[in-house]
Amino acid sequence: MISFKINGKTIETDADPDTLLLVYLREIAGLTGTKYGCGAAMCGACMVHLDGQPMFSCQLSISAVQGRNIKTIEGMSENGEHPLQKAWVEEQVPQCGYCQSGQIMRAAALLESNPSPTEEEIKSWMNTNLCRCSTYNRIVKAVQRASREMSS
Amino acid sequence: MSDTINISRRFFLKAGSAAAVVMATGGVRMLAYAKEDNTEVFAGWVEVTPDNKVHILFPSTEMGQGSNTALPQILADELNADWDQVEIKQLNKDDRRFGNPAFGNILYTAGSSGVYAYFTILREAGAHLRDMMRQRVADEWSVNFNSVIAENNYIKHSSSGRQMSFGKAISLPDFSTTALRSPVVLKEKSDYTLIGKSIPRRDIPDKATGRAMFAIDVRVPDMLYASVIRSPVEGETVESLNDEKARGARDVVDVITLPDGVAVIAKTMHASFVGRFSLEVTWTETSKYRKYSSESTIAEYRQIARSEEAGAEWRAVGDVKSALKNADATLDAMYTSDYAYHAQLEPMACVASVDDDGKGAEIWAGTQTQSWTTHTAKEVLGTTEDRIKLNMMQMGGGFGRRTELMQNYVRDVLLCSKAVKKPVKVVWLRPDDLKHGAFRPAAAQYMQAGFNSDNAMTAFYHRVATPSVIAYFNPIRWGQVKPNDVVSMRGAENKFYDFDNFTAEHVITERHARILPWRGIGAAYTSFAAEAFIDEVAAKSGVSPYDLRMKLLRNNPRGTHLLKKVSEMANKVPLKEGRGRGIAFAGYGDTQSAGIVEISVNESAGTIKVHHVWIAVDAGKIISPDNAHNQIEGGVLWGVSASLYERITITNGLVDQENYFNYPILRHDMAPKIEVYIAKNDFKPKQVGEAGNPMVAPAISNALFNITGRRIRHLPFTSDNVKKALS
Ligand code: FES
Ligand code: FES
Repeated sequence: MISFKINGKTIETDADPDTLLLVYLREIAGLTGTKYGCGAAMCGACMVHLDGQPMFSCQLSISAVQGRNIKTIEGMSENGEHPLQKAWVEEQVPQCGYCQSGQIMRAAALLESNPSPTEEEIKSWMNTNLCRCSTYNRIVKAVQRASREMSS
Repeated sequence: MSDTINISRRFFLKAGSAAAVVMATGGVRMLAYAKEDNTEVFAGWVEVTPDNKVHILFPSTEMGQGSNTALPQILADELNADWDQVEIKQLNKDDRRFGNPAFGNILYTAGSSGVYAYFTILREAGAHLRDMMRQRVADEWSVNFNSVIAENNYIKHSSSGRQMSFGKAISLPDFSTTALRSPVVLKEKSDYTLIGKSIPRRDIPDKATGRAMFAIDVRVPDMLYASVIRSPVEGETVESLNDEKARGARDVVDVITLPDGVAVIAKTMHASFVGRFSLEVTWTETSKYRKYSSESTIAEYRQIARSEEAGAEWRAVGDVKSALKNADATLDAMYTSDYAYHAQLEPMACVASVDDDGKGAEIWAGTQTQSWTTHTAKEVLGTTEDRIKLNMMQMGGGFGRRTELMQNYVRDVLLCSKAVKKPVKVVWLRPDDLKHGAFRPAAAQYMQAGFNSDNAMTAFYHRVATPSVIAYFNPIRWGQVKPNDVVSMRGAENKFYDFDNFTAEHVITERHARILPWRGIGAAYTSFAAEAFIDEVAAKSGVSPYDLRMKLLRNNPRGTHLLKKVSEMANKVPLKEGRGRGIAFAGYGDTQSAGIVEISVNESAGTIKVHHVWIAVDAGKIISPDNAHNQIEGGVLWGVSASLYERITITNGLVDQENYFNYPILRHDMAPKIEVYIAKNDFKPKQVGEAGNPMVAPAISNALFNITGRRIRHLPFTSDNVKKALS
């Protein structure tokens, strides 16, 4: 039995301990907001928070997260009320949308440690996350908007 | 009022509680009929229900381009619907009545065609239903048709102040037998309420919460997972298979052999991976594609481009051959480009549940075509269309990757599900997606120009040596269009310029790899060669690249406007020390784009950084300016990524790259600042989604010349290629 918390809820599972956290989240827990893009720590589509830190869920097995807290995009808010999610809508960021859960999770971790990042800080922090539709410039704007909202 | 359409035939069916207008594409046949029951089956383009909701059919598929909002927006405008009461329905069938007129009424989402191809049809459908409601309500109130208007989901009679909701209007007795007004009258452009407004995209909120569902996300009860190992080279099959370990692994259900691979089917995705990686497979290794490596392929294409081999004429003006013969001077150059991969962020994935008799299926897929996904299923199961139930999912990027006639990611999941009689999900791992991808073709382009004694250009000759993409990915279509391959050749027509003597031709070479449409199709490389070579011509003529283009655009006021505009925009920003700028004029289809890029180059490292891009686009009437802006930015950055990084190499038939670490694409920190100007006019809407990228590569190469005095004639401009060009 492996046990950990997802979005505040305790999970106990007898799934194969080598199962990737990403695969567990998507295919067993049904939390499909977290995406698979590369399986190689190259794209960030699978980004979750592990005890508050941004992590590639494609790089962790469930045995490695025993007793830890996982937060996914589904745990960000009930209905998209998180300032980043609102900013994503305000700035009309997504195109295909596939990368955007990961982008938002990555950005959320930034604003937690650095509530008013500069443009350069945003860009270099977000560099872990690919967007093939290239919504990069709008992502920067949305992070800035959320940052203003959160500090006011 | 303008824009009238003649309706040659009309049909009426029996009235029910709701009405719908259905129009066959082509604009000659019109049906107005009632929904006969309260099922969710969609009657037509648009339907009003008694609860005063408007349901609009979305005939394309959504891959990020935003037409899921833009197309319904067009119809809703003409209907004078209240946008908040509009619901959008995905077309989940190969129903050619709603097919894309730009592709012979195939259900096909490609070529940035949705808005321009469906524009008139959608407006007619909206106008017909609007005027039916006006007529029926006017009759009810015994007033004149012209005295009632439609506004925000209500029919209103202003002099009496009476109003009736659309929902009530269609519920009036015998509504659907109301005479259709002919010819249908479309709104004046000045009366548009939604067209031209940046209304928020409908799909975006769910893309900020993770709720948007892609094919890869689908889970259905009792579903199993298959992981497929595919033959490393096209055309090879399994020679020997040892699946003992896989069959013994926890949760593995079955191992089945596919036409070009082996699938491990398991109760969990994890087990399917464990099983798949334990397979010992040898392949026939007899494929002719083992002879081919990308380097030798490009060398061969170069030779062909420069040879006398006749090409299929793509566009010609005047007589280029005699103009070249009679020229006082000539200039020539060879441009080449590598294969490139789509790298869409959602890898190929599909879910299917095949019926027990093996002759029917429900399919969840993200593809750019209901028609060819249906075709694939019919062929694989040997069945008829009525047995196929499609669920067209949003796509995590399309870019041409999901357009084929025969979709092997759909095929495999059908074969697996049929074998185990359970629903199955197949997800391609990234290395599968890349190594078994189908690419933008490699190309060699031989450019020649002729000059008179004043060094003014008299001839422009563009020979493109590349395979036919259509012949490979859609043989049915090739039978109809041969030898004109718009996918391989787009952009080479160079129709925005006025040349005295011009020819573009396609020397159709042998295909050495799997190829597919790729964002910008041919223009992704033909515009590179044409627009970089124009700078070479300007240098030879002793005029500035800007002046030469202005001269070539002399009979094209919309193009002239863009070129002026983009240079004004760039001129406002002082050029930084150590940087250079390049200009290009390209576009896509009927859409024109002028661009300027500012770059710097690290000559010893061979690296280019793009700092700033200015782009001016004329795509006619814009439906949704904000989304158009986003698409153009995305297109520009696609072009930057393609120019700086993207290269697939093949060695003896095997693709060398496997993931984003050796197929890098643009990341956040390298995304330049972009300033976009979109011309405001009322011309017919044209392509937007691919208008941004074609001008980028030539503008960068022209900028590199302006800094270093050296031309780079091979795409991409990776450090090895830049160093070679500078040495
Ligand atoms: S899927 Fe984890 S980084 Fe790409
Ligand atoms: S929105 Fe498509 S990958 Fe980012």
